[in-house]
Amino acid sequence: MRDLSTKAGDATLTSTQVENEIRSPLIALIGPPNSGKTTLFNRLTGLRQKVANYPGVTVEKYVGQVQCDSERNVELVDLPGVHGFSARTLDEQVTRDVLEGQVEDLPAPDAVVLIVDCTRLESQLMLVEPVLKLEIPTLLVLNMWDELEERGGSLNELELADLLGVEVVKTNARVGLGVEGVKEFLSQVEVRESGVPLPEHVLSNVPRGVPLPMIDAFTARRRHLDKVVDRASFVSPGPAESTNALDSVFLHRTWGPLVFLAVVVVVFQSIFTWAVPLMDGVDLLITTSGEWLASRLSDGWFRSLVIDGVWAGVGSVIIFLPQILILFLFLGILEDSGYMARAAVIADRVMYRVGLQGRAFLPLLSGYACAIPAILAARTVEDERDRLATIFITPFMTCSARLPVYALLIAAFIPEGRLLGPFLGYRAAVLLGLYGLGIAAAVVTAFLLKRTLLRAQPGSFVMDLPSYRLPSARSIGLRLLDRSKIFLRRAGSIIFAVTIVLWVLTQFPRTDAGPPPIEDSALGRIGQTIEPAIEPLGFDWRIGVGLVTSLAAREVIVGTLGTIYGVEDATDDSITLQETLRRDLTLPAAIGLLVFFAFALQCMSTVAVMRRETGGWKWPILQFSYMLFLAYSGAFIAVQIF
Amino acid sequence: MGLDTPKSMLGSRNEEPGGELRLGDIPLSQTVELVRIDLPTERAEPLLERGVLPGCRICPVRSSPTGDPIVSVDGSLLALRRETADCLCVRLLSDAS
Repeated sequence: MRDLSTKAGDATLTSTQVENEIRSPLIALIGPPNSGKTTLFNRLTGLRQKVANYPGVTVEKYVGQVQCDSERNVELVDLPGVHGFSARTLDEQVTRDVLEGQVEDLPAPDAVVLIVDCTRLESQLMLVEPVLKLEIPTLLVLNMWDELEERGGSLNELELADLLGVEVVKTNARVGLGVEGVKEFLSQVEVRESGVPLPEHVLSNVPRGVPLPMIDAFTARRRHLDKVVDRASFVSPGPAESTNALDSVFLHRTWGPLVFLAVVVVVFQSIFTWAVPLMDGVDLLITTSGEWLASRLSDGWFRSLVIDGVWAGVGSVIIFLPQILILFLFLGILEDSGYMARAAVIADRVMYRVGLQGRAFLPLLSGYACAIPAILAARTVEDERDRLATIFITPFMTCSARLPVYALLIAAFIPEGRLLGPFLGYRAAVLLGLYGLGIAAAVVTAFLLKRTLLRAQPGSFVMDLPSYRLPSARSIGLRLLDRSKIFLRRAGSIIFAVTIVLWVLTQFPRTDAGPPPIEDSALGRIGQTIEPAIEPLGFDWRIGVGLVTSLAAREVIVGTLGTIYGVEDATDDSITLQETLRRDLTLPAAIGLLVFFAFALQCMSTVAVMRRETGGWKWPILQFSYMLFLAYSGAFIAVQIF
Repeated sequence: MGLDTPKSMLGSRNEEPGGELRLGDIPLSQTVELVRIDLPTERAEPLLERGVLPGCRICPVRSSPTGDPIVSVDGSLLALRRETADCLCVRLLSDAS
């Protein structure tokens, strides 16, 4: 199996052999969800990992380097957790394509590491047979071996290795036991000889060319596995007592929903209260560094571009980094501990009524911080129609970028005062109302979608409930690092570009004295051009400009209005901005503007992510138009009512 | 719900001469054997991949707060919807087997 290297001992070095020596071996890591796959990946690669996207889709590609010994490195790719190869979900498609060598920038893997949770061996082994068809060295990692033994189970792993024709290692990836054995396997993998044709389309749930109904294929595979497992003297472990005990609380008729609500409240609190000092800190950092930089640059167009354009624009987005990280910290803990699956079960009935499913709960919750990670998180929704519907309604969740806009307008127009005794003031009530408006729009939209464009019979919801486990700080830390990188990369690319374009639009056409007054600039003219369209809503061209610039990111409107009204620093001196706003906008128009922001998809990054996730422009265009229509008519109605 | 007229039936039909038992009717802690999945192939696939196959043993272990069944199959815990559980035809394990 591993004698490929000996053949390369000829005196003549062909070009392919040179190539082989340059590339380090690539090993694919696959396994069912919750088998400890990513934990093992993190154990093996640590900080030497990169996250990117597979070409064309937003499935995240994690590739890391494993140092086997002083001179040998291998590349490890962590594939999404899958139960099979039906290609029913994006994750399954990507996993299949990588293993079959069909992905542009990845060679076909030279070996496979298949990790399974050995406490539920039979069902987890369903992936073995298809993987063996690849005919490359395969290591079977029996993870959670400690738990198997603790719960009184046992297995003759050497016998299993023999019967399946693979190598076997026992591990407990969470604490790092047995990881050396995996490294040993990795250190022996050789780059496959080029020229040998790749196995084509071998991975599927149903063997190709065999006219068996799928169920028979599955049953046959399962019977075979049952025999194998039996001959390897597998004794199933006893029931997981701790999981059972925790479930009797978390899935209790009364306590379950209460714990669920408490979790949601804590996540919200963390996003909106605990993140504030951190965000203030980041804000201070950006402001002072901007001031320092401004003092270093000579007055001129370049300083204006760097400070007013890039620093202010990119800075206004980076401020949200602490909030997003805190959200992901909580989501990471909830997911790794096994609670998230229970939350999805509790949420499923409510989601089902609107035509969605429990798995949509996680993305929708993430949507309160930012729609972009939320849309990515929708990948876990197995049914394609459900996934599209989830993505479609995610931007209705009140993301944190709406908050600065809400805060400014509410402070300027809504009087302080008590609505419900000491508990609820007018301002808080308006804010809550805006959150409610988003939820209502999401529910109605999902309901309509599932009855029209995404009509389907109710799916057969199946949710795996993994055993509860203590989350590992290491895994969560690495994931937060990835999130920061991804977020900063986006702020450094898309938002960077948009802020430069906006800045340029404020600078032209030039006058003799330099940049034109804002109303004469290209941006001001754009505002004036759309003024007739927004006049019925009570908005003038200044708000129009804000609506245009806030397409980059919603909160940009605050800075834009600051600039337009000639207020030196809109954030520090928002009293002045509030006063000028009160002079220019009527109360109905202000409420109209709030409603507009509750509905409109004022976020180009979301549109871009939508396009990638749905594989085309159809959905993002539909979504943008639909939300704009809702925003416009909602604002119009608000102006009439108030 | 449209669930009564699936496009195709998986498994053989003639195993249960008397009244058919559905997983949804089985009391907690009673292990049963799966006979047939009354769902179109496409929607049965997620079940099949997780080891819910005709011939496997299923035991409802608890009921979720919303009254949906949580079952144990081969040591895995799976949450199903009532509607899905009602599409799973099962039979009691006789003492002889």
